[in-house]
Amino acid sequence: MNLIQIIIDSLIRASILCTLGIGLTTVYDILKFANFAHVELAVAAAYIGFFFNVTLGWNIFISAIIAIILTGLMGIVFDQTIFKRLRSVNPVITMIASFGLAIALRNGFRAIWGPRPKTFAIGLQKPILFLGARITMVQILLLGITVASIIILHLFLHRTKLGKSLRATSDNPNLAQARGISTETTIKWTWFIAGALAGLAGILYGLETQIEPDMGFALIIPVFCATILGGLGNPYGAMLGALALGLAENFGIYFNFGQIINLGGLLHLIGPLWIPTAYKSTIAFSILIIILLARPRGILGRKIRKE
Amino acid sequence: MEGLVRFLTHLAILTEIYGILALTLNFQFGLTGLANFGHVVFFMLGAYTSTILLLVAHCSFPVALLGAIIVSGIFGFLISIPTSHLKSDYWAISTLAFAEIVRKVFYNENWIVGGGYYRGGAYGIAGIPAPLDHYFSSGMYPFFYLAVTSFFLLAIYLLLEKLTQSPFGRALKGIREEEVLSEALGKDVAVFKMKAMSISGALAGVAGSLYASYMGFVGPDQFMPLVTFVVWAMIVVGGTGSNRGALLGALVIQVFYSSTRYLKDYIPIGADRLASIRMVIIGVLIILTILFMREGLVEEKKKHYKL
Repeated sequence: MNLIQIIIDSLIRASILCTLGIGLTTVYDILKFANFAHVELAVAAAYIGFFFNVTLGWNIFISAIIAIILTGLMGIVFDQTIFKRLRSVNPVITMIASFGLAIALRNGFRAIWGPRPKTFAIGLQKPILFLGARITMVQILLLGITVASIIILHLFLHRTKLGKSLRATSDNPNLAQARGISTETTIKWTWFIAGALAGLAGILYGLETQIEPDMGFALIIPVFCATILGGLGNPYGAMLGALALGLAENFGIYFNFGQIINLGGLLHLIGPLWIPTAYKSTIAFSILIIILLARPRGILGRKIRKE
Repeated sequence: MEGLVRFLTHLAILTEIYGILALTLNFQFGLTGLANFGHVVFFMLGAYTSTILLLVAHCSFPVALLGAIIVSGIFGFLISIPTSHLKSDYWAISTLAFAEIVRKVFYNENWIVGGGYYRGGAYGIAGIPAPLDHYFSSGMYPFFYLAVTSFFLLAIYLLLEKLTQSPFGRALKGIREEEVLSEALGKDVAVFKMKAMSISGALAGVAGSLYASYMGFVGPDQFMPLVTFVVWAMIVVGGTGSNRGALLGALVIQVFYSSTRYLKDYIPIGADRLASIRMVIIGVLIILTILFMREGLVEEKKKHYKL
């Protein structure tokens, strides 16, 4: 397997995990609960996009924008109807409620659209050769949009008044409120941004592969892994964690672990040793557990502040 | 009429097996405050250990049951180790990952169950013997098995009820309410959590062993994360912290789950779509219970002391 190809595959995987991870981590940062329903918003966007693009036959870009805005609004609606009532309870209870919401949504998609995979009406993609690796136009677009949205998010958080108030609230909600920043308004915007980014990830993922009702569940642990790897609550950590996990998943199955044990060819203790492809999905799970055991606050984890 | 009796017996056996799972999850979450999102792992380990001992090692049923108890108890001990320094939501995510890793191993490795073509791995294993089945006619056997499961359910209920009311149980409740305070009072919180997880893991293994011999078949698809979720629905709806609540929840959810299966004969919806709608309703039920009836159907008995 070509090295460039592995890097491209890793970057594509990292883009999806990163766009999802940012929303998960910012909601956690402000509301302090792990939202298991987050990835289902991505699936919702993919299906809404599918409805406009394929069922109604609209242009893919218009369909995608509608889907992203709608999932952003869905984030606000879920917060107002469910999570707002649970602001003062134990975060574990809120987490269980989000788990219930995730199952309801996932099975709702399956009830409406059926278990079979769906695809957007973009036709078959012909790959372009790039340094001996294959990449499609959709994948180039996916990488470009991800980088652009990271830059926009960074500028938003640091240059606009709303972005600054978002950061202030996450840093110290009481102090922010004392300075006249409305916590509830900030929370609404956080949900909208998180939902819209999840929607973007869902559309991109759907364009790159297929749309299935269970694709959210397949993503939930890798996304948690990426965000915890970078330190839950830190959007830049989520980006780094996504990149690290994307590389680990794709290099993991092409890496000959026998070489390490044989000290790079000096010894001949054992033959080639690979991680079987069947276990590719468990790489993220295992990294998650190792990270939690060794460094629970992640690579870029913040220091715990005394209350 | 005979069909109805058979269906009710089947429903009762499944309810009792799930009742054991609900009681043990309640012991972890309701009593100790440990949110385990991978509870199905004990069910799976119990079922597989019992099956391997029965089919590969040709042991008798009591030995297989004991093996299931030991293996899932040890696993309970192992996953309790990180609880001492992990936040509860981080731990919940890692238990979900643990359960999926174990399921992937059973999915991919067929040598565990002795190998063979179309046997083990993704195909599952059929022909699991049921205890003492040659003493009964096939029509009478379910009644005998109902007596067996009832015996184990009652024994586990009495044991957990006894533990709940013992000083040990009070210490666990103390940890659930105020972990730091318990520590200040000289309780070794980590050891208490380890004991709680080992006991409840071992007892949940009984459910797995009973299930494997009742169904006569185990396969990785029976132990999807969805099972954990259904058990969660039982304890949330029934009322966390109360053993009777867990049992009532198991009955309500299991009756709803099994009986709606037959609705497809009356309403023109496909079986697959009906299954999804059923899960949507269970998800919504969890959210509604948490929002409007947080104590569940049966409230936990709490003593109030006057100062």
